Amino acid sequence: MKIILIMFAIPAILLPAACVLYIFYQAMPALNLSLIFGSDISVVGVNSIGQSILPQITGSLLLMALACFIALPIAFSIALFHAFWASQNHKKLLMTLLQMLQGIPPIVYGLCGLIVFVHTLQWGISLLTGSVILAIIILPLLSNSLIHAFARIPREQTDAALSLGLSKLNVIIRIWLPASWSNILTGLLLSMARALSETAPILFTATVFSGITWPDSIFSPVTSLQTHIFYLAQEGSNIQAIHTAWASAATLLLLVLCFSLMAGYLRRYDTT
Amino acid sequence: MMQTNIDVKNTPKIHVQKDFLVVEQLSLQLENNPILNNISFSLPITGITTLIGPSGAGKSSLLRCLNMLYSTWGGEITIDKTSIKQWQAGEDNLRKFIGLIAQKPAIFPASIAENVTFGLPRKQRKQDTTTLIHDCLIQAALWDEVKDRLNQPAVSLSIGQQQRLCLARALALQPSILLLDEPTASLDPRSKQLIEISLRRLAKNMPILCVTHDLEQAKRLQGQLIFMCDGKIIETGESQELLQNPQKLETREFLRWEVCDCD
Ligand SMILES: Nc1ncnc2c1ncn2[C@@H]1O[C@H](COP(=O)(O)OP(=O)(O)O)[C@@H](O)[C@H]1O
Ligand SMILES: [Mg+2]
Repeated sequence: MKIILIMFAIPAILLPAACVLYIFYQAMPALNLSLIFGSDISVVGVNSIGQSILPQITGSLLLMALACFIALPIAFSIALFHAFWASQNHKKLLMTLLQMLQGIPPIVYGLCGLIVFVHTLQWGISLLTGSVILAIIILPLLSNSLIHAFARIPREQTDAALSLGLSKLNVIIRIWLPASWSNILTGLLLSMARALSETAPILFTATVFSGITWPDSIFSPVTSLQTHIFYLAQEGSNIQAIHTAWASAATLLLLVLCFSLMAGYLRRYDTT
Repeated sequence: MMQTNIDVKNTPKIHVQKDFLVVEQLSLQLENNPILNNISFSLPITGITTLIGPSGAGKSSLLRCLNMLYSTWGGEITIDKTSIKQWQAGEDNLRKFIGLIAQKPAIFPASIAENVTFGLPRKQRKQDTTTLIHDCLIQAALWDEVKDRLNQPAVSLSIGQQQRLCLARALALQPSILLLDEPTASLDPRSKQLIEISLRRLAKNMPILCVTHDLEQAKRLQGQLIFMCDGKIIETGESQELLQNPQKLETREFLRWEVCDCD
C-alpha cells in the first residue's frame, strides 16, 4: 500500500519540479538584470532580448493590487454578514452562490466584462475594467477564506465578549481580528496569487500588447506579464521573443510562488 | 451609573417592586426544536435563586435568553418593569447590566489583569485599574492564586481558575444582576466554598441566578430553588423545603437518581 502511494506521490512532486526547472532552463538566455533594469522596453514583434519587462511586472502587480483593494471590503462584508446576521438558510444560499461563482470559467467573466464595463459603461480597455473583473473572480475565494477564518474563532469567545456588553464592532476589532489576522492574510495572499495568474479575463479587457508602457490613470490600458507571455509565444519564428516569453513566465512564477509561500509561512501564526 | 429607573441601589426600597426580574411565558425554538416551553418565574431584588435540572433541560438556553444572546424567544422578560426587548440604552448596555458567566470559561488571549478589565470602556481601561482588579479578584476568590502574576497570559490558568477569572471579569462591570452557569462545575472543594461564600455576600445587594448540577450546593446556597426539566419548570419553592419535600414525581426522581423522565 505504502509503495503504491509513493508511486503516485513521486510524479506529483517531480512533475511540477521538472516544469519549474524547464522554465528556468528555457529562460536562461533572457534572464539577466536588463530584464528588469534595462532601458529598452520589451515590445512584441521586436527583437526582444535585453529589453525590460518592468512595465509588464508593474501592470500585473497593479491589476492584482487594485483587484484585491476592490474585493477585500466586499469579501469582508460578506464574511461578517455570514457570521453575524445570516440565518441558516441565508448561509446555505450564500455558500452555494459562492461555489457557483467559483465554478464559472474566467473567460466568461472576461466576455461579460467586455460587454458591461468596456462597452456599456464606456470604461474602455483599462486597468479599472481588468481590476474589477479580477476582483469578481477572486471574490468567492477571498470570501470563503474570510468566512472560514471567522468560523474558526471559538463561539464561546464571541459570546463571552458580547456578554460583557461589547458591541459587535468591538467584538470584531478586539476579538476577531487579533485571533484571525494570520488566516485573513493567508486568504488574501492566495487570492493575490490567483489574481496574478489569471490571463484570459484580462486579455481583451485590460491589456494591450504594445504601444503602452506605464498607465497614466486607471482608465488607461496596461501591459501585463500574463498576456505578454501569450503574445510573445505567438511569435513562433522569433527565437529571442520565445526566450523572453520564458523569462516572463519565470518571473511570473516567482511572484506567484512568493505569495503562496508567504501564505504557507503565515499558517504558523494561526492562533485559533 | 445607569438610568434612574433601573438604578436599584440608589432607589428607596419602598418604591421598588419586590420582583426585580420577571419572566413570563417564555418560550424558545431553535432550528424548529422547542427548547423552552412556557417558562415563568421571577427573581427578587436580592438573594440567590438556584436553577437545577438534568443536562439538556434548557438551563443554559434560558440564561442566554435573559441577556439577549438569543433574541427570538416569545413571551416577556422584564427588569424592573422594563421589557428587555425595549431596553432604552440598547442590547450592549443590557448585557453590561446583566453579568453572565458561561458554562465553559472563555478566556481572552491577554494577561490576567487585562482579562479582568476587558469589558470596561477604553477610557477606564487606560486609567489605574489596580484596585478594581484587586477587588474583583478577591470577590471571585482568585486573588491569592494570581496576585504575583497578574501580567502573565491568562490561558496558563487551570480551568477552575479560568472560571473564577470569568466571574471577576463580569464583576468588574458592576452588574446589577448576576447569571451563573454551573460556576463551580470544575472547581475543587476549597474554591467551591470560597465562591459560594462570595456569591452569598454579593447576593445581599443583587439578584443572582445560579445554575447548578450539584444538589448539595443547591442546599448550601439556600434561597429560591427552581427545578427545570425538558424545557419546562416542574417545581419552584424554597430550597430546603423543595429538596426535603418535593411535590412532583419528576422532582423526586431527579433528587434520588439525578435523572428525570418528564414525558
Ligand atoms: N444552537 C442550538 N441549536 C439547536 N438546539 C440547541 C442549540 N443549543 C442547545 N440546543 C439544545 O437545547 C437543549 C437545551 O440545551 P442547554 O440549554 O444547553 O441545556 P442545559 O444547559 O440544561 O444542559 C438541548 O437539547 C440542546 O441540544
Ligand atoms: Mg448547560
